[in-house]
Amino acid sequence: MTERNLPGISFDEALEQRLKQANWSRREFLARVAAFGAAAALTQLLIACGQGGASPTAAPPTEAPPTTTAVATPTPAPTPVPTPEKELFVYNWDGYIGENTVQQFQDKYGIKVKYDLFPDEATQITTLQKGGNGGGYDVSYPASTWVQSFTTDGIIQKLDHSLIPNLKNLSAPWQNPGYDPDNGYSVPNFWWTTGFAWDPHDISKDLTSWDALWDPAYDNHMAMLDDMRECFGAAAFRLHLSPNTKDLGELDQILTMLQQQKPLLRLYTQDDIGDLTSGTLWLTHAWSGDWVQMTYDKPRTKYVIPAEGAVKGNDVMVVLSGAPHPIAAHLWIDFNLDADVSAANTNYIGYMGPNEAALAKIDDYIKTDPRLNPPPEVLAELIELEYLAPADLDQYTNRWTALRA
Amino acid sequence: MTATATPADQSRNAALGQTRGPLSDRVTGGVLLLPGVVWLVVLFLLPLGIMAVISLGSVDPGGHVSLAQPSLDNYGQAFRPEYFPAFVRSLYYAGAATVLSLAIGYPVAYWISRHGGRRKILLLILVMLPFWTSWLIRTYAWMIILRDNGIVNSLLVGAGVIDEPIPILNSDFAVILGMTYGFLPYAILPLFVSIDRLDESLVQAGRDLYATGRGAFLHVTLPLTMPGIVAAALLTFIPALGDFVTPDLLGGTDTTTIAKLVQVIFTSGRDWPYGSALGFLLMAVTIAGTLLALRSLRREVIG
Repeated sequence: MTERNLPGISFDEALEQRLKQANWSRREFLARVAAFGAAAALTQLLIACGQGGASPTAAPPTEAPPTTTAVATPTPAPTPVPTPEKELFVYNWDGYIGENTVQQFQDKYGIKVKYDLFPDEATQITTLQKGGNGGGYDVSYPASTWVQSFTTDGIIQKLDHSLIPNLKNLSAPWQNPGYDPDNGYSVPNFWWTTGFAWDPHDISKDLTSWDALWDPAYDNHMAMLDDMRECFGAAAFRLHLSPNTKDLGELDQILTMLQQQKPLLRLYTQDDIGDLTSGTLWLTHAWSGDWVQMTYDKPRTKYVIPAEGAVKGNDVMVVLSGAPHPIAAHLWIDFNLDADVSAANTNYIGYMGPNEAALAKIDDYIKTDPRLNPPPEVLAELIELEYLAPADLDQYTNRWTALRA
Repeated sequence: MTATATPADQSRNAALGQTRGPLSDRVTGGVLLLPGVVWLVVLFLLPLGIMAVISLGSVDPGGHVSLAQPSLDNYGQAFRPEYFPAFVRSLYYAGAATVLSLAIGYPVAYWISRHGGRRKILLLILVMLPFWTSWLIRTYAWMIILRDNGIVNSLLVGAGVIDEPIPILNSDFAVILGMTYGFLPYAILPLFVSIDRLDESLVQAGRDLYATGRGAFLHVTLPLTMPGIVAAALLTFIPALGDFVTPDLLGGTDTTTIAKLVQVIFTSGRDWPYGSALGFLLMAVTIAGTLLALRSLRREVIG
């Protein structure tokens, strides 16, 4: 939270920023409360806000066993799984888990779960970086792109795979993802793509290329996401470059491409769902989960993963290095990898991931939509946004601020 | 947090009281000031100091703020010609919102003060009523009102004034409208106070000396309420200059303000030192402007 409360500005400004953060969360937030009514969602947000102050760091330090307990467990003898702790601190998106998952976990293991919510990624990352060991939480769900820096900084701990036998449920490519070899420090949770969505009432053509977002025919009826990396990614794909390029010449090409596009855009949107469903936009850069939300208001809305390629993303479950309850944390991850639990999570929130064992139990409407569950050959073409070192990130930021100013 | 006095604080305060003798006015004053001072120090000066220190640092390869080699580099890089349009735009929006707030707010405050009668308090509460709803929700409401198939366009199309919806949202107009709407109460309140405090008999005296209504207003009312006008202008202009929420929600591609750039540098760019430096410069400009305004006010009032 503190991250955006820039010092030296008025209290009202700070307050606005806090409210604003609630807005930023709205996109993800909406996308992740698929099955929730608005009332339930609001309640959850209020709970999230209310819990903001009550960080579990307040737990008596004596309770925390050495963080190495779980890791140090030698090749497990047939039986003894180390006795789990009596409670667990989870830090996750709002509405990003099955309806009964927490209760079932508590019933099964007799572990009391304290489930805290964050409103947006910036808040999450700032909190997890607090103290350099995870802000007092046991488990959280960062985007996969954070794994590398979290590992380097010692914010997350190496996983004890002997405590997570359900890792076998992951499909083969996800046993060894690029961002975290052999899932040493993280376990993939759910995935999404970034393409674009449009209203076929306004644009009858079947769009397949990023070119659409540069088409003067849709002048002033298009938007890009107000997201630096995603905008650079879209332009990069159109230029057949990598969305993670560090080449300054290529970045200049990308900037030129975005500058050409800017006069055609209505805005850089923070609310792609609302702007499209309200009719302001015909066409918008969008996340796959947001598109699902658009179809609730406007079922005819279409979405495509463009042919030139697109950004894919996924989040992961991690155990924080300062976790007061590392064994319970491993049990939590294992529990959520269970075929039934994973499928129940997906069927409730509409996001799916690489849990192969769960596939048979996932609702057809999610499973059979190639835009939500891309076939392997499409998936292979998609690229995830990599973590950028500060010097490289600066090159992006400089260009992005120049574009926006 | 620190506002609660620990027993140690209390005994220290007691000790202070003793050294200066029985509760002198000075100590009482000091004690009364304490909450305000603590508030200012903890919530304003301390963060400001942290920001000042951070602005001298850099981001190390691991992404952390490093103060190993403090320098003014961040300030040197702040004056990028690319940022100039955003800076000018910020001044334009804040200036326009201020002028409009004064233009709308002065008559409203004047009317409440002179003609509000017994309902003055009620009317002032009505002015502040919007604060009961969050700023964000009110801005979202403007989006619904202004969007292409929103209330305004539907009415205009329905009345046959226009054939096709005109884009109102995502424009300079929408941003200035949103800011004026948002900061208007900040303008009305100080204006009301200064107008209400104005001794009516002074205006009467002016009229007795054959001033016209307009003359009395221009030569008596307006100069005497100038402190209120300056206060209202500052209370509107300063927050408007730092506003990035309104341009974000009501603006389009060409409505980026300098505050938005600072926010982007902090979040997407993860470059706190550079963001702090830019923030500091923006604040310096604001403070310089404020001082100038206050000095001119002093000249105005004292002569």
